Amino acid sequence: MSERVLDLQNVTMRFGGVSALDGVNFHVNKGEICALIGPNGAGKTTVFNVVTGVYTPTSGEILFNGESIIGKKRNVITESGIARTFQNVRLFGEMTSLENVMTASDVHKKSGLVGALFGTPRARREEREGKERAHELLKFMGIDHRSDQLGKNLPYGDQRRLEIARALGTEPKLLLLDEPAAGFNPAEKVALAETIRKIRDAGYTVLLIEHDMSLIMGISDRVSVLDFGVKIADDIPSVVQNDPKVIEAYLGAPADAS
Amino acid sequence: MINLRDRGAELWENWNRPKRTTFVILLLAVIVLLPFAGDYSFSSFLNTPISSYQAVLVYPVGIFVLMSLGLNIVVGKSGLLDLGYVAFFAIGAYTAAILGTRTHLNIWEIMPIGMGLAMLSGVLLGLPTLRLRGDYLAIVTLGFGEIVRIVAVNNRATGGPNGIANVPNPPSIFGIRFALDNMQGFFWIILVMILLVIWMVRRLSIRRPGRAWEAIRQDEDVAMLMGVATLKYKIWSFSIGAAIGGAAGVIFASKSMYVAPDMFTFNISVLILSCVVFGGMGNIWGVVLGGTILAYLPERIRFISNARQLVFGLALVIIMNVRPDGLLPRKKREKLHKTGEPDAVAVAEGEKNV
Repeated sequence: MSERVLDLQNVTMRFGGVSALDGVNFHVNKGEICALIGPNGAGKTTVFNVVTGVYTPTSGEILFNGESIIGKKRNVITESGIARTFQNVRLFGEMTSLENVMTASDVHKKSGLVGALFGTPRARREEREGKERAHELLKFMGIDHRSDQLGKNLPYGDQRRLEIARALGTEPKLLLLDEPAAGFNPAEKVALAETIRKIRDAGYTVLLIEHDMSLIMGISDRVSVLDFGVKIADDIPSVVQNDPKVIEAYLGAPADAS
Repeated sequence: MINLRDRGAELWENWNRPKRTTFVILLLAVIVLLPFAGDYSFSSFLNTPISSYQAVLVYPVGIFVLMSLGLNIVVGKSGLLDLGYVAFFAIGAYTAAILGTRTHLNIWEIMPIGMGLAMLSGVLLGLPTLRLRGDYLAIVTLGFGEIVRIVAVNNRATGGPNGIANVPNPPSIFGIRFALDNMQGFFWIILVMILLVIWMVRRLSIRRPGRAWEAIRQDEDVAMLMGVATLKYKIWSFSIGAAIGGAAGVIFASKSMYVAPDMFTFNISVLILSCVVFGGMGNIWGVVLGGTILAYLPERIRFISNARQLVFGLALVIIMNVRPDGLLPRKKREKLHKTGEPDAVAVAEGEKNV
């Protein structure tokens, strides 16, 4: 059995009387592209939010590389190796692309305020390295020519690409992508699928939420399906595609069943 | 409307090194000589009626600019609305007054203590309250500002409502005397402090702390998710701002040789915040300009006596309407393809479009 990077055990997340997640068991294996799908309101983004520490689950356990991350602060979780993008682009709009990525890559830097003030050799070196790494990542996402432009002034597609570059800036072991293809045209989707594959091949583990089935089925090693906060399927794409429960969740129950 | 900030920055960038050095030296020379401007007929228009021109340059002008720069780190850089900034000013001033009258420490020895105490109170206030956001933080800091003043009114050690008199002037350095009849000494020492703060802020802004503050200001949740230790950097910002306020307080107390609670009212917090907003939040030059104008103008128009505050308020409203982001706003200019090779970029973009 392959190594589990992320392991959700019986995770429940309640908001008042509503169970956004109801006893979800779900895991991501090292080095795979895992997709999380489900109809609107199924609890997909809630999974991202409990994993990144935005919410603390009502009950259950979340292990990241075998260690519980429940109750840890968001920035500590990021430092330990989980990074995410957002369903609605949330860049630092008043910063340049380069600064956006550098801000994220600061997470593993050692020098702090004093180093910055007096320009210690370590601070200078880290600053230089951070800049180089940021340019590398921008190049990797194909937007290095935008490095000096403000986040808010980037075209929409490049904003999404910059979000991925920024997330990669934290050198994550697990990358969470929340609907990265939203608003993309078919050609851009193909390019994005290629990028996600490249990210996986570079050694990252990817968990993505997506609505575009052809994209999902094309790149995922495994697909998990959530419906009303419950996991209803978890398998390789071709099996999930034909699972009657999944079809029912998306299309409603067939007429002859009632 | 012409964009002053962009014009200025453009001009600066197009200058070569000797040109820039000459400009900076000339500007500094003019500022250093400002206290004497009132004595000569060609610059006597600067003279303030009623109040002493040299004293005005120290307080409010110098002190306000220094405090605005401190508050700018908190409000402008990291986006934390602090409505009780006067508290740190008061802590610095009372430290100078108490230690200056009861111990043998001189003002220069008290300076680090005053800054340290202000910083410490910043940390103590920040630890629980910086978890709050926006309006809530504003209310708590407002309360803190009032608490410090009320404690000073009701405490024997601080002299109650009468305050503390006979705060010593600082001893001379490099032959420069600091005394009521020699105000330029205070002006120069405050100028040095202002330059130090500007140096510090510029250093911090372009490196990690500056990015962290900027990220916190723009979207604290995302900043946290991108690994920024938000609480730590907020406390740093808060306590650095506090230390600068404390330093201003120490100088103020030894300059006026007297402190009393009614010098540290909520008014001061609001005025300093106005300087920051009026000049341009987050932009040091804007804040310096804002502080200078807002501190100097009411003294310059003192001859119209009671209508002064009205004219001042009206001017503020008009200018904020014309320039809602302040005189010299923060907005960064974009540099397209600054790194050169514009052709390569164009080609790459062309390929993408194919």
